[in-house]
Amino acid sequence: MKNKNPNILTMKRKETFAGYFFISPALLFYSIFFIFPVTFSFLISFKRWNMLRPLSSSPWIGFRNYIYLFTRDDLFKASLINSVIYAFVTVFLTLSIALLIAVVLLNIKYAVVWRFIFFAPIVTPQVALGIVWGYLYDPNRGLLNSILSFFGIPTHHWLTDPSLALFSVMITAVWAGIGGPLLIFTASLKGIPDLYYDAAKIDGANAIKRFWYITLPLLRPTLLFTIITGLLGAWQVFDLIYIMTRNAPAESVWVVSLYMYQIAFQSLRMGRASAAAFILFLIVLVITLIVLRIFKKGGIEGYE
Amino acid sequence: MVKRLFLISLLILGLSILSWGSIKLVMAVHWSDYQVNGVYDKNGNLVSKGLKQYVDEYMHLNPDVKIEIQSVAFDDYLKKILITHMSGKSADVYLLYSLWGVQLVDSGILNVPPRYISEDVKKNYVESAIKGTTINNVIWGIPIEVDNYALVYNKKLLKEAGYSHPPKTWDELVEMAPKLIKKDNKGAVKQYGFAFLAGWDSAVVHPYLSLLYSCGGKMLAPGYKKCLLNSPEAIKALNEELRVFKNGGTDPSASVWNFAQGTVAMIIMAPWYESSLKIAFGDKFAETVGVAPIPYIDKPANVSYAWFTGVDSTCKHKKQAWKFLSWLCSEIQPNTKTTRLGDLMAETIGAIPPRIIDLKNHPKQLEDVYTRTFIKELKHSIPEPNVVQGAEIKTTLMNEIVKAWHGEQTAKQALEKATKKINEILSEYY
Amino acid sequence: MNRKRKRLISRIIIYIILAIIGISMILPFVWLVSSSLKTRAEFVAKPPVWIPEKAQWNNYPKVIKKVPFLKYYSNSLIVSLSVTLCVTITSAFAGFAFAKYNFKFKQFLFSFFLSTIMLPAFLFVVPEYFMFSKIPLIGGNSIWGTGGYGLLHSRLVLILPFIVNSWGIFLARQFYIISIPDELLQAARIDGASEFKIFIKLIIPISKPVLATIAIITFITQWNYLFWPLVISSSAPELSTLPVGMKMLAMAFDPARNQQLILAGLTIGIIPPSLIFILFQKYYVSGIGMTGLKE
Repeated sequence: MKNKNPNILTMKRKETFAGYFFISPALLFYSIFFIFPVTFSFLISFKRWNMLRPLSSSPWIGFRNYIYLFTRDDLFKASLINSVIYAFVTVFLTLSIALLIAVVLLNIKYAVVWRFIFFAPIVTPQVALGIVWGYLYDPNRGLLNSILSFFGIPTHHWLTDPSLALFSVMITAVWAGIGGPLLIFTASLKGIPDLYYDAAKIDGANAIKRFWYITLPLLRPTLLFTIITGLLGAWQVFDLIYIMTRNAPAESVWVVSLYMYQIAFQSLRMGRASAAAFILFLIVLVITLIVLRIFKKGGIEGYE
Repeated sequence: MVKRLFLISLLILGLSILSWGSIKLVMAVHWSDYQVNGVYDKNGNLVSKGLKQYVDEYMHLNPDVKIEIQSVAFDDYLKKILITHMSGKSADVYLLYSLWGVQLVDSGILNVPPRYISEDVKKNYVESAIKGTTINNVIWGIPIEVDNYALVYNKKLLKEAGYSHPPKTWDELVEMAPKLIKKDNKGAVKQYGFAFLAGWDSAVVHPYLSLLYSCGGKMLAPGYKKCLLNSPEAIKALNEELRVFKNGGTDPSASVWNFAQGTVAMIIMAPWYESSLKIAFGDKFAETVGVAPIPYIDKPANVSYAWFTGVDSTCKHKKQAWKFLSWLCSEIQPNTKTTRLGDLMAETIGAIPPRIIDLKNHPKQLEDVYTRTFIKELKHSIPEPNVVQGAEIKTTLMNEIVKAWHGEQTAKQALEKATKKINEILSEYY
Repeated sequence: MNRKRKRLISRIIIYIILAIIGISMILPFVWLVSSSLKTRAEFVAKPPVWIPEKAQWNNYPKVIKKVPFLKYYSNSLIVSLSVTLCVTITSAFAGFAFAKYNFKFKQFLFSFFLSTIMLPAFLFVVPEYFMFSKIPLIGGNSIWGTGGYGLLHSRLVLILPFIVNSWGIFLARQFYIISIPDELLQAARIDGASEFKIFIKLIIPISKPVLATIAIITFITQWNYLFWPLVISSSAPELSTLPVGMKMLAMAFDPARNQQLILAGLTIGIIPPSLIFILFQKYYVSGIGMTGLKE
């Protein structure tokens, strides 16, 4: 029994050793830069700490931070809703437009120039984009309002009007975010063999039908990837909203990442801010798993 | 990587050995650019001194002391204190807005000044500055700046509408504002009668407090145990603000920053806007810009806030730090009969120095058309309360007021909500 | 005849839409550069001035004198390059392990790695700042890690928190699953090579596409990152990176006064890197194509 397949045993051990060897740097990294910070922050979320008093002497208040956030903090609830709206709308718009443009650009000459144009905002820090668009949206001197007035549309206060502010930031985010998915979709689209389309054309399918029944299904893995990446990025957005929405009423524009920052550094409630961060994490986790499940129903291998 | 770490530690060890024996003070300031480096004319000659020149002078007189100036943006200042404190390596000398000071005092971060300093403050500074620097009945540093608010108006625009003098009472302002509105042929507002300061907590809360004080109200009960913003006076004060919105004198998108473009007739503003206005209006400044006391509801009043210097309680050279601050802020220069800080504030930074003798002896800067009204109004200035979690309390109030401006809730609703939240915050500390 | 015309019309429509979209993509940048060359009066003019009368090229020297661009660029460059190098290497290693080896807890560890992406970055800031300040025997610290400022004044503090990235691991794993047949590995093993040697001599050379993709994405992301460098620069201003510099730019000139100078500064910070990144575009595209995202 022991000597049944010695080779297999040693091979298994070798595999295990090799496996751990290769992931050891990552493992080491995460034990230092993940386990400790997360545990630390988790513990803080049960305390009231203003970052000035020593951590050890700050009171332990159990779940009170979490309870407060869920039941009595209107601003947090508004931020959560804003975060969700922001994430879904921007991702949906960005990906739809990127996909459409990718399809269109496949058959255009000088596509490289076009892709260049879309890629420029991706490589620019969001801080800079936020400042530039802040000027563009200026009600009195901004480019946007002067262009719109040319068409007879009255001046709007894009960044201060509570009903418009978040929407305006989302437009900027979409503008800035098209380039990345565009390149990914382009690469993926290029990989679909022409003969699929040719066969469909022979069968009399028009462009829209070809797109719906051939392109989309074959792009499923890519779509999943871009949706998940997009959502994860959108939950964390900070720079853009921070820079652009200084003057809008808080509840209409704050997203959770901004809320955490202000609660920590302005109201000096580090404990509550950490609790908010963990709540956000749970929401992100749940939504990501839901998205994965939706896509898995179509049978994708290789993703968890 | 190990080699790099080793080299870095050697370097640091070397540097620390070199500076052995000398006293190093780190001074964190929210000033930058010309405020620190001085103002130069086209030919590179120093026109007015910045903080750096004074610091260099002190280091020259005291060769064993090294002072390093760190510029931090106003937005990031408190954050910097919090973060550097966690690493145990905070700055030694601070310029503190009084509400930041309250947080620091509450957590034991500040060092109580030596007796000679607090005695000097009690004797030689204006009332509002002293009160602003007092937290829990202790004076925590040397006041360096006192600010209050006034009505800043465009004389030309008022004259065009037929007004030869600015409104004295709030009722007059409510009546005047809509008459100063100009619209273009599409119905969009070209010129506003009045604009409220907005964008950060003090911007919204301070003018409101001025109105509140002017009808006899108070924000917090003595001892800060209770919030009084649901009192009839508080509701009245906010309703008075809303009247300007209701009869068309302003709307939520009016921006005070357009005053410099000549498209807003009246604003409530602080002294530090002067240099921007001088640049915007150029040589037409004196004939265009007028300053008057804030139109009051029942009696004249406005709100003041103060800045003071403080020393960190973990500073290793506290005595030296206070000595430097005393030299900078309290020592009277024999030929000008002013303090060096007074010169810096009045000449370079364009703010109001809080020391009585500086107020007297800087006639050129402080007697000008703009600033002298602010100084006169110091006698009606009531300092904002030095309460813990001040920023959070003011932000809470600001959020409710702004919603009321947008018509999303009535004054009563706004203030009831604010009072409830603020009482919760107060109960944590008082 | 009808079909040809239809195609022509649809082509024209597509071109028009593309043109509109293309213009709106570029417009902000065009505005940025043109405004950076205006005088103050032109900038605040109403109705807005589109093209300045006389290009104020001297706006640029004015900005360069006041803003330490060299420091920002060099910090950003050093940090981004270092992080990119580390991430590429660690991603290749770990991605390969997850792709080609079976070991206990493999599923769990992979899920764990991926879940690290979902935690808000905010949670890491305070603890990591604290950690770096208390490293013993560095930066003036005693053996207990107190008294000095640890690594906080070294560029390492901007690099170390980012040297492993689960996106990179994920992409590498995808690539290896698809592009490296098991038979290849078996053959190499039969030849008697150790796993490590196989990796270095055989796998790495084939990995160029995915490594290029990971490198480019990492570099760009790291270049643009604001939050952590902002926190670090409050205690060590000499470590400011370009995004931090741009945020401070708004403070260097009174924002209500000299916006055109701010914009000149932004242009200096945006245009050079963008041009370079865009040149590398094609490597990024080809690499993505090989990670099985187009199954």
